[in-house]
Amino acid sequence: MKRSKRPVIVCRCEEITEDEVRRAIKRGYYSLEEIKRVLRTGMGHCGGRGCLKIIARLIEEETGIPVAKQRFPCSRPPLKPLALGLLASYKYEEKNG
Amino acid sequence: MKKRTADAIVIGGGIIGAATGYYLAKQGLKVILLERNFPCAGSTGRCIGGIRAQFTHDLTIRVMLKSIKMFMELDSELGEDIEWYAGGYLFLAFDEERKKSFLQAIEIQRRYGLKVDFISPDECARIVPGLNQEGLLGGAWCPTDGQANPFKVTYGYLKGMERLGSKVITDSEVKRINIQGDKVVSVVTQTGDEFYAPVVLNAAGPWAEGVAQLAGVFLPVKPDRHEALVTEAVERCLEPMLVDYRSDGCYFVQHYKTGHFIGCYTPVPIVPGDRIDASDEFITEMPRRMVRLLPKLASVKVLRQWAGSYEMSPDGNPICGRTPVEGFYVAAGMSGHGFMFGPALGYLMAELITTGKSSIDISEFRLDRSFAKAEAMK
Repeated sequence: MKRSKRPVIVCRCEEITEDEVRRAIKRGYYSLEEIKRVLRTGMGHCGGRGCLKIIARLIEEETGIPVAKQRFPCSRPPLKPLALGLLASYKYEEKNG
Repeated sequence: MKKRTADAIVIGGGIIGAATGYYLAKQGLKVILLERNFPCAGSTGRCIGGIRAQFTHDLTIRVMLKSIKMFMELDSELGEDIEWYAGGYLFLAFDEERKKSFLQAIEIQRRYGLKVDFISPDECARIVPGLNQEGLLGGAWCPTDGQANPFKVTYGYLKGMERLGSKVITDSEVKRINIQGDKVVSVVTQTGDEFYAPVVLNAAGPWAEGVAQLAGVFLPVKPDRHEALVTEAVERCLEPMLVDYRSDGCYFVQHYKTGHFIGCYTPVPIVPGDRIDASDEFITEMPRRMVRLLPKLASVKVLRQWAGSYEMSPDGNPICGRTPVEGFYVAAGMSGHGFMFGPALGYLMAELITTGKSSIDISEFRLDRSFAKAEAMK
């Protein structure tokens, strides 16, 4: 199938394109963890839910390392972005005290 | 099982190992850097990227002045945008004792030409619009301090090493250090591969004590847990790193390019060990402290929290130099400042290793010192 000439966004939060990911892999960043560190993929609002699997497939295509053998970055709380003011109003000690 | 030889082996792919490896390679040495996980998987990749010369120990100030000069030139040195930005550091004083200690520190810092002043609460609020001045007595302000991207700097050094013909090997954990007589000979990784070199540098950060033990060397470096968070990117509204040293204080900065706020605090009491799980306490406490200082942040959303290790030495200063085993060097115990020390200490360690002495004498950081004079601006 012929590829579209328009840039394909693989990480919507950080607006990272397929080309940028492929270029990073070609520069020697072979893992999701490293690509996350150089391109910020997975560091945005979705925490990697949208992009990591796509990038894992790109790594497999470029390097031959199967998706199943790749190490996925761990998910970080909060699962959904929460306002500082809201978090600040939560009395941790009273609830757990 | 492979056998390989090099001029020097560096253990640890964080900033200290990467910078030292790079400057050794630049001096013409063939270096093999062994990282047990992936580069920046330890403390460097978890730090918030602050860089400052506001310290109280003479040597630390001198090292940091050199480091800042190097950060300013790293883009061209490494061919990489390392995102250096001189947004300054503002240390806030909320009691007379803290104010006094800042004034004393400023006196020392000025001796080395650092542009640093104690400024009034109003001046603090001019630098940080929206700052809550309640109880504020003023702040120690240095505009030449700044921030940079720890990933970009570390990867920049590692790529630079490789360009110079040296090697970076990931997923390689050193399990044995072989010594003959009192000289280091080789290291063996978990795969059984053996790497021979007359020089081995321990730059293993929070795990440096264990690596030193492999060579029979006692290294007093203990990790403790520090947590951090990052917010969504918003319009630029904070220039400096803001440091609140109260026991329920915090420090944070806004990334100058992306607009994310990133910050952390030192827990009281400290949380020893290399566990780096994230706590519920932090994700409620840190926002409270941030919003107290800068109320306008209340609507900014937290994206993520994580934790990392500070690798503490007994006095809060680095441990750098020779060990009782010939050829076995250490650069560890950065006590939360490894990223900012990185360029200078990497450069000075490379000089020490190749010529026997460094252009700034770092012997005060030697392993066999007394550890009595603690750093006050930890």
